[in-house]
Amino acid sequence: MLKKLYHQFASPKTYIVLVNKMYPYVFYISLCIYTVALIWGLAFAPADYLQGNSFRIMYLHVPASFLSQSLYLAMAIAAAVFLIWKVKLAAYMIKAIAPIGALVTFIALISGSIWGIPTWGTWWQWDARITSTLILFIMYLGLISLHSSFTNFEKADKFISVLVLIGFVNIPIIKKSVDWWSTLHQPASITLTDKPSIDPSMLYPLFFSMIGFSGLIICLVILSSKVQIFNREASKSWVKDNV
Amino acid sequence: MFNFAFNSFNDFIYMDGHGIYVWSVFCIVIVSVISMFMFYKNELKKLKKKHFYE
Repeated sequence: MLKKLYHQFASPKTYIVLVNKMYPYVFYISLCIYTVALIWGLAFAPADYLQGNSFRIMYLHVPASFLSQSLYLAMAIAAAVFLIWKVKLAAYMIKAIAPIGALVTFIALISGSIWGIPTWGTWWQWDARITSTLILFIMYLGLISLHSSFTNFEKADKFISVLVLIGFVNIPIIKKSVDWWSTLHQPASITLTDKPSIDPSMLYPLFFSMIGFSGLIICLVILSSKVQIFNREASKSWVKDNV
Repeated sequence: MFNFAFNSFNDFIYMDGHGIYVWSVFCIVIVSVISMFMFYKNELKKLKKKHFYE
């Protein structure tokens, strides 16, 4: 039974049928949640007593930062699945996630830099959090360009999977950089173990903006993975019916 | 929790001088996400055309 399920869900065809059904629901629900969260956060949440209204950048910056690391984690899981079980779909997902990961990391870096101008008095500082996030962005770009430089896709998939797993060491560094080193960036306000240090009037819209933005980014990953699958499986007969 | 945090629409745009930072980030996020959606939709359209004519 497990073997049957594994073969069914590891198949690109099953994946395409499933995401084609899911996509409109995920897209419209996420769009509504994100729109409501942004209106709530930008117009209705009270101004911060220290940062004033510049704290509202948080509703755009935090979801992007969270996803820049989450997408890399997803790529690392896909890389492990590909290397251990040789699941083709996992290799396609790595290639599909990389450009979206680069986009959200770019958003996290730019929004953080702009937020830094009124808050820290500088748009850039070579501190641990910002530098490790810049390394993550360069890693995403490197993975995209390296994969494209191969003519043999199977070799490229293996090589990129190993690189993704090696690069994963940067994720705990990004996460813990604010605790391990003295940085301009503040420590995490929301953790799994402690009570959030943000007032609920600011926390709820942040929570919804993270859900809404994550949903929209999942939709982008779905579109990107469809492009990957249709390109790589172009010779298969089922592609014509599902494209 | 659901009171408009500003006295007027102009205050909302200006945000005590922080509007330039907040709205520029807002525009960057919206434009980059929409551009990415358009890019992939366009790629899928091209693939559809390619498979239709094959």
